[in-house]
Amino acid sequence: MRGSASQLRRAISLGLITGAVMLYLVAVGIVLAFSARNTITGVVTLGRLMLAAPPLAAGYVVARRGTDLAPRLVAGLLLGAVSGVIVAAALLFASAVDIRHILVRISPPLLAFLAFDQDASIGALLNLALAAALGLIGAVAAVVPSRVRRPAITGVIGVVVISMLEPFLRPRLTDFKLEGVSRFLFTHKGLSIASAIVVFAIFAVGSVAWPRVRARYRARVAAADPGTQATIRGVTLLLLIVFLLALPQIAGSFLSQVLVFVGLYTLLALGLNIVVGYAGLLDLGYVAFYAVGSYLTALLTSPISSLGVGLPFWVALPIVILGAAVTGLFIGAPVLRLRGDYLAIVTLGFGEIARLLFLSDALKPWFGGTQGILGVPPLFGVAKVSVPILGWQLTGPTLTYYPLLFFCVIAAIVATRLKYSRIGRAWNAMREDEDVAQATGVNVTNYKLLAFALGASVGCLGGAVFATHLASVFPGTFNILVSITVLSIIILGGMGSIPGVVVGALALIGLPELLREFAEFKLLVYGGVLVLMMLLRPEGLLPDRVRQQELHEADEEEEPGADGGALTPAEQG
Amino acid sequence: MRRIRRVSLVDIILLAIRVVVAIGVVIGTYATLSAGKLTWEQWRDLLIFGVAQGSVYALIALGYTLVYGVLLMINFAHGDVFMFGGMTAFFVADALGSSGFLDANPIVGMAIVLVVAMVSSAAVAILLERIAYRPLRRAPRLVPLITAIGASLFISNSVRGLYGEQVKAYPQLKILVGKFEIFGVGILKTHVVVIVSALVIMAALYWFVEKTRTGRAMRAISEDKDTAALMGINVDRTISITFAVGGMLAGAAGVLYAIVFNQVHWFMGFLPGIKAFTAAVLGGIGNIIGAMLGGLTLGVLESIGPNLLLSGLGVPSPNQLRDVVAFSVLVLVLIFRPYGILGRPENR
Repeated sequence: MRGSASQLRRAISLGLITGAVMLYLVAVGIVLAFSARNTITGVVTLGRLMLAAPPLAAGYVVARRGTDLAPRLVAGLLLGAVSGVIVAAALLFASAVDIRHILVRISPPLLAFLAFDQDASIGALLNLALAAALGLIGAVAAVVPSRVRRPAITGVIGVVVISMLEPFLRPRLTDFKLEGVSRFLFTHKGLSIASAIVVFAIFAVGSVAWPRVRARYRARVAAADPGTQATIRGVTLLLLIVFLLALPQIAGSFLSQVLVFVGLYTLLALGLNIVVGYAGLLDLGYVAFYAVGSYLTALLTSPISSLGVGLPFWVALPIVILGAAVTGLFIGAPVLRLRGDYLAIVTLGFGEIARLLFLSDALKPWFGGTQGILGVPPLFGVAKVSVPILGWQLTGPTLTYYPLLFFCVIAAIVATRLKYSRIGRAWNAMREDEDVAQATGVNVTNYKLLAFALGASVGCLGGAVFATHLASVFPGTFNILVSITVLSIIILGGMGSIPGVVVGALALIGLPELLREFAEFKLLVYGGVLVLMMLLRPEGLLPDRVRQQELHEADEEEEPGADGGALTPAEQG
Repeated sequence: MRRIRRVSLVDIILLAIRVVVAIGVVIGTYATLSAGKLTWEQWRDLLIFGVAQGSVYALIALGYTLVYGVLLMINFAHGDVFMFGGMTAFFVADALGSSGFLDANPIVGMAIVLVVAMVSSAAVAILLERIAYRPLRRAPRLVPLITAIGASLFISNSVRGLYGEQVKAYPQLKILVGKFEIFGVGILKTHVVVIVSALVIMAALYWFVEKTRTGRAMRAISEDKDTAALMGINVDRTISITFAVGGMLAGAAGVLYAIVFNQVHWFMGFLPGIKAFTAAVLGGIGNIIGAMLGGLTLGVLESIGPNLLLSGLGVPSPNQLRDVVAFSVLVLVLIFRPYGILGRPENR
């Protein structure tokens, strides 16, 4: 009995926090921004889903504990109701008192959206009922066995993702003569009810079937003789390469532009990963190398830059990389003896100094001040390349994609080889305990410098491609936010993990490019990602094994009774 | 016996940096002074402006130092705590200003604005500690720093979403327009008010840390957290209080900043935050008097430095580079004297 009473108390306090989170989402403007995006046309928009997520998740969390069915469900319902009361009260208050001059997003359209286009009092009641229902649904999700829950969640995610991709899927489907599919899937910028059910079913069935298919496939491969295994691996690799090469053709020109950004940040993150992930040096001034790479490339290749030599890109590239490595050494050398957190701040200082110098009037004769450097020729010297047999016309992003892919693959291979080499092991040792590493004969200074120089070279490579892609460089592009974005990618994917970098870049660069409403809230989300990842999963989504053990060493020492689980500390308040 | 040291490449680079900086400072200063580019009055005004701005930095720097003292972590989001206070108090100041209350009762009005700023900053600081830092107290050192960077981004962009992107102009107080004559020297009234209020607040803080029970608990925790807990000090509560006090100082700094520069916006936390951190390190992080001195030093360096050094070296538009001066001070201090002016090298 006492257990259920405490569960109800927990439901109330979590409900209050959930309500506050919902109000925050509304007031910060993210809900209304996404309310124009239909997920299922006429039924639910993305904005509405965002507002529904907190009570759902919190209902799930509160009902996960306990043995008896009824109190768990009641807890979910209560939690939803409490959060609903808060939202309803806020709605009534905001309709009565104009607070728009303080909280700028509380506009009449927002209030109408919140009240489901009804009168404020009816809207308040609807909100209350809806939030209570969502809390209950969350609790039900916690009660049902996972073989039911998992397909259901996958199905919902599938519906949301497919509907988000509508602006890109629809034209591409038309290009590939699949108007029928496109017409069935989408009505008015969202899924229709029927297609939503179909998509849900496909994803739900897929989530059940996929692990079995995979297990059977793996078992068969494992049973095959080594020669066949090698062939399978070769064919898989070949298919992957063909896919990556054909990707811009499948994706079309707009998505290729997105791919270029994803590739660019993947490259930068691969470089920073060497410094942060392998060597454990938190470099917040990574943008400096990116800037140096861009500016050096522009200086060397643009015929109208202050140097005016107009070298071809591939001739300039070795000079750029060398210049970058030297910059890395020069920035790296003075900071090596600093403690981790001071090193982060000093590198941040270097990054800002680099930006301010490129921007300044004092160095305008060389770097062009605010105007930057124009006239950077395209990477291959020509703006358009046609591929003979396939008949592809490569220009702009579809052209930049290939060298970028090439550089990313090279960087990934180098990074992987380094990780398992003697150097990588030295970095591992150094990261875990510098003194011990030194005592066992690791030359800490040199290995740190090496990490800095390698990271700088990769960052410069990114800058070089970036300069040729934009055909110009501007100082405004190289601010601290680039460093933090790259850092967020690594943190999300997992420090030291190369697949993690790719996933991080897809999520943090690709997604905001796809959802234009998102751009405004990009930095907010990056900040949230950094905090939440550090609190909940410091090893990242696709963790590196060694790093994971390192970060969870402390857990074993803690007493097990501490409040834990999937509940975020933000929700604990 | 003479110590034998191996000279490495790093040592050579460090020495080269020292030499270059020293030569630059000497030549620049000499050239500027001998050319007589600015009059004595202009230098004096720059100095006073530097002190005013430095006292704002000092207030923020105290927050860094207090938190560093108890947790040994850099609260990177502290600049945004400062920003939040200034932004929130703007709405009160604006309401009081447009109703005429602020000009009728300037002292009461400013006190209300100041209290609102201090309370709201303190609230954010407490939440920040509770949500973002407390669960990570035993994590590896870089983990809370990354969290703090994320929190900084999160707070500033939340404010951008909640309060809007525009720059907001604080109402100007009629009684603060013009100059005071002090010993025959005209000083902008706003500067006088800012410097005096900062000094009063700092004195209050010093008294709080040195004389009260809570202050003693804070000092005990900064000596040794575990022993302090054994002596019956509520560590969690004291850390919360430390964050609250740091937040209050930052909130006050937010209002004073608004008085000096007349405007607030969502991104204003970043630069003063970094500069105040520099000030804290300059004075020796964890050292309260050091943070005050560091703030004043940095403020003066930043306002005089570009004119004194860079214009002497023939750099065009030197004031554009004042942030470069501040960041250079940051980099040089951290590299060459990470224990600050007042501190001694740690034997670690």
